[in-house]
Formats: sequence, C-alpha cells, structure tokens
Amino acid sequence: MPRATTLECPGCPPLRALTFDTLGLIKVLESRENQGGLKVVERWGEPDASKSVNAVSIIDRSSNPLLAVARKNGQIEVLSPVTGVSQATISKAGDLDLQSEENNLIGLHLFGKQNTEIDSRAYNLLTCTSKGNASIRSIEVPDSETESSSTNSSKTWNVCNSGNVLCCKVDGNEKFALFGGKGVEVNIWDLDNYTKIWNAKSPPKNSLGIFTPTWFTSVSYLSKDDHRKFVAGTNNHQVRLYDISAQRRPVLSIDFRETPIKALAEDIDGNTIYLGNGFGDMASVDIRTGKMLGCFTGKCSGSIKSIVRHPELPVVASCGLDGYLRLWDTKTRQLLSSVFLKQHILHVVFDSNFIVEDIPKEADSLPSKEQPVKEITDDEEIGATPLKRKKSSRNKESVIAGSEKKKRAKDSEEHKKSKGSKSASKKTNKRSKNEIQDDGL
Amino acid sequence: MAMGGKRKRNQDSDGEEDSSKRKIKTETKEPFRPSMIKNKEKRSEVHAKLKHQKKLEKRAKSKARDAAVKRAIELGEELPEKKVPRTIENTREVDETVCKPDDEELFAGNDADEFSSILNRQNNPKILITTCRFNSTRAPAFISELLQIIPNAHYFKRGTYELKKIVEYANKKDFTSIVVVHTNRREPNALLIIGLPDGPTAHFKLTNLVLRKDIKNHGTPTSHRPELVLNNFTTRLGHRVGRMIQSLFPQDPEFKGRRVVTFHNQRDFVFFRHHRYIFEKKEIKKIESKGKKDEDGESEKVPDHKTIARLQECGPRFTLKLVSLQHGTFDTKGGEYEWVHKPEMDTSRRRFFL
Repeated sequence: MPRATTLECPGCPPLRALTFDTLGLIKVLESRENQGGLKVVERWGEPDASKSVNAVSIIDRSSNPLLAVARKNGQIEVLSPVTGVSQATISKAGDLDLQSEENNLIGLHLFGKQNTEIDSRAYNLLTCTSKGNASIRSIEVPDSETESSSTNSSKTWNVCNSGNVLCCKVDGNEKFALFGGKGVEVNIWDLDNYTKIWNAKSPPKNSLGIFTPTWFTSVSYLSKDDHRKFVAGTNNHQVRLYDISAQRRPVLSIDFRETPIKALAEDIDGNTIYLGNGFGDMASVDIRTGKMLGCFTGKCSGSIKSIVRHPELPVVASCGLDGYLRLWDTKTRQLLSSVFLKQHILHVVFDSNFIVEDIPKEADSLPSKEQPVKEITDDEEIGATPLKRKKSSRNKESVIAGSEKKKRAKDSEEHKKSKGSKSASKKTNKRSKNEIQDDGL
Repeated sequence: MAMGGKRKRNQDSDGEEDSSKRKIKTETKEPFRPSMIKNKEKRSEVHAKLKHQKKLEKRAKSKARDAAVKRAIELGEELPEKKVPRTIENTREVDETVCKPDDEELFAGNDADEFSSILNRQNNPKILITTCRFNSTRAPAFISELLQIIPNAHYFKRGTYELKKIVEYANKKDFTSIVVVHTNRREPNALLIIGLPDGPTAHFKLTNLVLRKDIKNHGTPTSHRPELVLNNFTTRLGHRVGRMIQSLFPQDPEFKGRRVVTFHNQRDFVFFRHHRYIFEKKEIKKIESKGKKDEDGESEKVPDHKTIARLQECGPRFTLKLVSLQHGTFDTKGGEYEWVHKPEMDTSRRRFFL
C-alpha cells in the first residue's frame, strides 16, 4: 500500500501578493516569518461575475504605489495596492471601442516613469482590446477622495487589422509595446510616436509542408533594459525566442509538451524563463541554450494562467484554473507554499515593498542585500555549468544600467533598508526551514 | 547485561510452550508466523489450527456483544456504543477544497457559472447524444437506454463529422449539452459530456456497464421526468461536476412517475443507478401486542402499518470516473484544463478529488 505522503512545504520568506479571480475579487495574501505559509489577509470587492479581472498592472515602488485593474465589463479601476482604496475609475461609457462583448480589454499597462515632471498626479495608461484597439490615455489620480478623477488626452491606434490580440507587454523602459495574438504576428510599436517598428515573420513550413497558424498566447521581454529580445509562447506548445536586431523569424524555438503555453515569465537574470501550459505543467528553461532546467512538480492540475517572478526574492508564483496560488523556489524548484483561493485565479501580482513590522532593528547592520543571494548562486554553479555565465552577464548588465540603478537607489533609501531587513529575515527563514510546515496543503 | 536478560526470557518462553514447535522457537527474533515453517504439511497444520482459534475468538466476541445488547435492552439501559469500522472514506485525507455551506463565494460562483440558467429553470435542457465514429453492438443498446433516461435527448448519427463541427451545429440548434459515447472493441468505455455554449467538457471513463436486459427482475421505465439524486459531491470540483450532471436533467421532476436516477460518488467513482420505487404499507405483527399495552383504545382502531419503500431497478448500471475537466468546449489541442488526473497526484489511497 502506498504510504500517505504529506507534501513538505518549507515555508516561504515574508512577502505580499495580490490575486485576481473570475468573480472580480482581489485577495491580498501575506506571509510572515513565524506563520509559515501564505495567508489571506484581506479581500477587496464583492463577488460579481461581470467584474471578472482581465488584466492588471502595478507600479511597484515604495512611495505611492498604484495598481490598475481592467474588468470584464470594460471598467478600469486604479487603486492603491496597500489599502485597496479606489482612486480612479474609467467606465465603459468613456470608451468608444468597447461596444461588442467580444472586444474585451486584454492588455493594460500603467506607466511608472514618464510624465512625472509634467504633473505628479497624472499617470499614463496603455490599454489594448482583443480587436486590436490600443490607446494611451492619461488619468489623473486625485489627491483627496473628494476630487473626481478625469481622463484628459487619449491617443488611439489600431495594432492589427484582423485576428484577436491576446497578449500585450511593455518593455522595462516603457518605450516599446509588444502585441501578439490569434492570427496576429508579434509586432512592436514605438510608444513615443505610435509607429510600428518591427513585425515578426511566421516560421517556414515544416518538412511535411504543414503550416501552423499563428496563435500567440503569451509574450515576455527577456530583461528589463533590453527591448530587442523577447520570448513568445504559442498555442502550438512552442516557445520562441525573437531577437529584433537579428532577424524577423524566431532565433530559437522550443517545444514543451502537448498543450498550449499559457503563461510566460522572465527571471531577473535575463536568461531563464518560466513557462506554464494548459495542462498545469510548469517548467524553467535556459533560453540561451534552449535546454529545460527542470519542472515544477507539485500536484498542480489546472491550467496555469499567470506566472510572476518576485523582483528580489528567489520566488516564483503561479496561479490558474485549479484555484490555487503556489509559490516556488526558483533554484530548487520546490513548492514553498500553496493557498486555495476557491475561484479560478486569473492574475497574480507581487508587492515587493512589503515590510514586516516585527523585525528587530539590528537587521539593518547587514552589509548588503545582495550577499545571501550570491551565496546561493555560488552553491548552484558548482553543479550546473550553463549557470556559470549568468553571473558575468548579470554584472555586465549592471554596468550598463548602473547609472539608472544609482538613481533608483537614491529615490528609495528607506526602501533599501527594508530590503536589508528582508534579507536578514530570509536567512532566519532558511534556518527554520525544516521546522515550519505549511498547513496550506 | 541486556543480552543476558534477553536470553533468559527466551529460555523462559521455551519452557512454557509445548515441544512440538521447538524448531521454530530457535529463531526468536521475529514473532512466530506459520509461514516461517518450511515443511508444508506442518505449516498447513499449524495454519489451520491458528485459523480455527481465531474463528472461535471472533465468535465468542460477537456472542459477548450480543449478550451485552440484550442485557441492556432488558434493563432498559442505554445500548452499548456501536463501533464504526474504519473505512477509506472515513479516514479520508483532509481536503481544503471541500465546499462549506456558508461560503458566499461559492454561491456567487454558482450564480455565475455556465449551468445557472438551466438550474434556475430559465432554460430547458436539450441533449444531443452521439457516438464515436465506429459504433456497434452494445453502444446502440446503451444509447437507446440513455435516451429513455434523459428526457429531451436526441440521438444523432456521428457520421464522419468532427466533434468541433458537431459542437457548432448543436450550438446553432440550441442544444444545451452533448453526450458522446465512446466505444472500444465494441464495448462502451468512455463518456464525454460537453456543456454548451461555452460550458466545460468532462471526460469520464466508463466501466462495469450492465444493460437493462442483463439485470434480473428489471422494470421498464415510464416516460415521466425522473427525480435526480446526487450523492457525495463534496469538493469544489465535485460540486462542479455534480452541477454539470444536474444540468442534463429537467429541474421539475414528475413525482407521479416514481422514477429515480442516482449518481452516487464514492471514492471518486460515480455510480449510476436507475430505479423505480414504490411505497408499500405493511402490517406489523410483532409490535402490535406491545403497542396495545402502552396505549389506550387508539391503537386498536388504527391498524399498525409501516410504510416501506421497495425498489425495482430498471435501466443500465455503470460506473464513471472523471479523467479530465476542460474549460470551454471540446478542444484537445488548444484547451485549458480545469482539472486533469495526473499519476503524481495518486500519493495516497485516502486522497479523493470529487
């Protein structure tokens, strides 16, 4: 008789995540040190099927973070990810494109960098519907709640003539946007002057002369600073790497199992991608070689809708139709924690500026936040050779983007402090890995 | 010291037991089992002896239990507690996805799901039944019985149409579900239920099919709308599957027909049974004398009757097991699955999904 095995969840580092489901509920999950796994802390909104969340975008920073949520009924809500207070809503009435039911909002991006010098309270918002109507508008988030929000200017253009747009992504510098979908080849638009700068070409027929129809389900940029390299997942269970400086056809394509790729996410090192498919399988792939690093296994049985990498901690979150939010370790690919959230979950977002209050002050005395992370990578590199290059490449990137990073660091000194404390907490967490048991699963 | 003690104990035990099993007792590490004896004749002899002893013990135990019950009845005491045997379902692994009765999100989700229009009686179910491409012997018989069970069901020959085309056609004709009976080696072995227009697709493995004519003393069902019994669909997934099955049947049964269709879930297997019931009044002889003593003249006038339900099985019997539940209509290549059975999920016998 097979022995009943309990999944050992070593617990996860303190973090905060928000999930969005088909009933339009936003659930806030937090994990603290002594509690072990993730727990639902708050629930925003009332269950309403017409408010099902189609797309989300977050400006993740320490001061004044913002979260934009596009709903099924055409509403866009801007709210604070800390308190959940709605700060602005754009209703369907203001939008001329959203008449038919099939024309859902599928893409949303809240610009964090631009527009700050003009008006500190105005934000640019890129939206895209499945028919291919993309538009950029600026919304004003009022200081106090008595003021009403208003949308000023908007610029609309059409991304494609036919087909359905299914995925939309804006690169790290927020200058270029990527669109792709069913019958729509991936194309890149310059957001400064609204021109298409690049369009992909479908791969040639195979040896049997069979042409696979274009159907992109997910796209992701490889790194934050480089808009030229991106990966796209197709309905035809293929992941393709495109390099717009090289050619219009994919540089590399990888097959993964038999069901469509539904979610893609990039690692911060710029080499690893995480992919999830309609069968509930999740894997990480080294995109330079196209070799699979390994699968994330843990009784995941529903199609994966979204994968998100935590900006600092080595944690990936995945969620999907089985109603679970799962947190994985990026290095060991082990399940850290899983929470059952009842509905089909469509999106997940990390709030990286989550600070645990009950951490002692001495955590600040740690030399730097990078230290513990590096140790881990060193350990890993002994075993795996392809990972060796990763470190050097990361260093190179940091040289390129050094100036910008400095600027960012200046912006949020207290933020850094919190990071330091976080790393300390992570250490302690590691120590108590075996003691903390997740009662979630 | 410890060794010496052990030795002593062994010797003691040797002395106590009879000499016929000396050979076995030399290996004192493990407790004695008859299978340790290598001589078959001796082994079977010892085994028979042991078995007989066990049987006697069991009988004595049950006798004692019966006696205790009898005494309790005589003395008017409370009956001794009945022991509940531990079964696999009793000791099921704790599952957090089990529906709770006070979960408002569950009800909101129910209102929003694909079956709510049928289950709220806004739409009447209309079922299309078809088969796989090759269909012979038992499948047509099974389908003719299915047509009798499910009201407002229509059989269409499969022909060479693709299932996606059939889904399209059924959508146009306002069908609410499609049922596809799959056969392998002339034996129905799978059932596919597709909710329309955008409902989920459930794929069941079908086993143990017994047709009506193979059931002894079977009845022939009438054309009344049946009552539906759904048992034990506890988790979120089970709830969804249950609602899907419920949406195949009309929501207003004709109780006059006394027809019941049962889907009973036990350990993830869904058992289908189809019965006709009848309530019969039966006189009770034994208790009559007691009743007269207790009560006054009333009991004499009203004859003591007990209503009992009698069942007659009609229609087929089969067992379903969920293989996958897919989001949207049938699409094996580009479909998203809400739940798939994967071998790595079978970590325990006590883990169930429905």
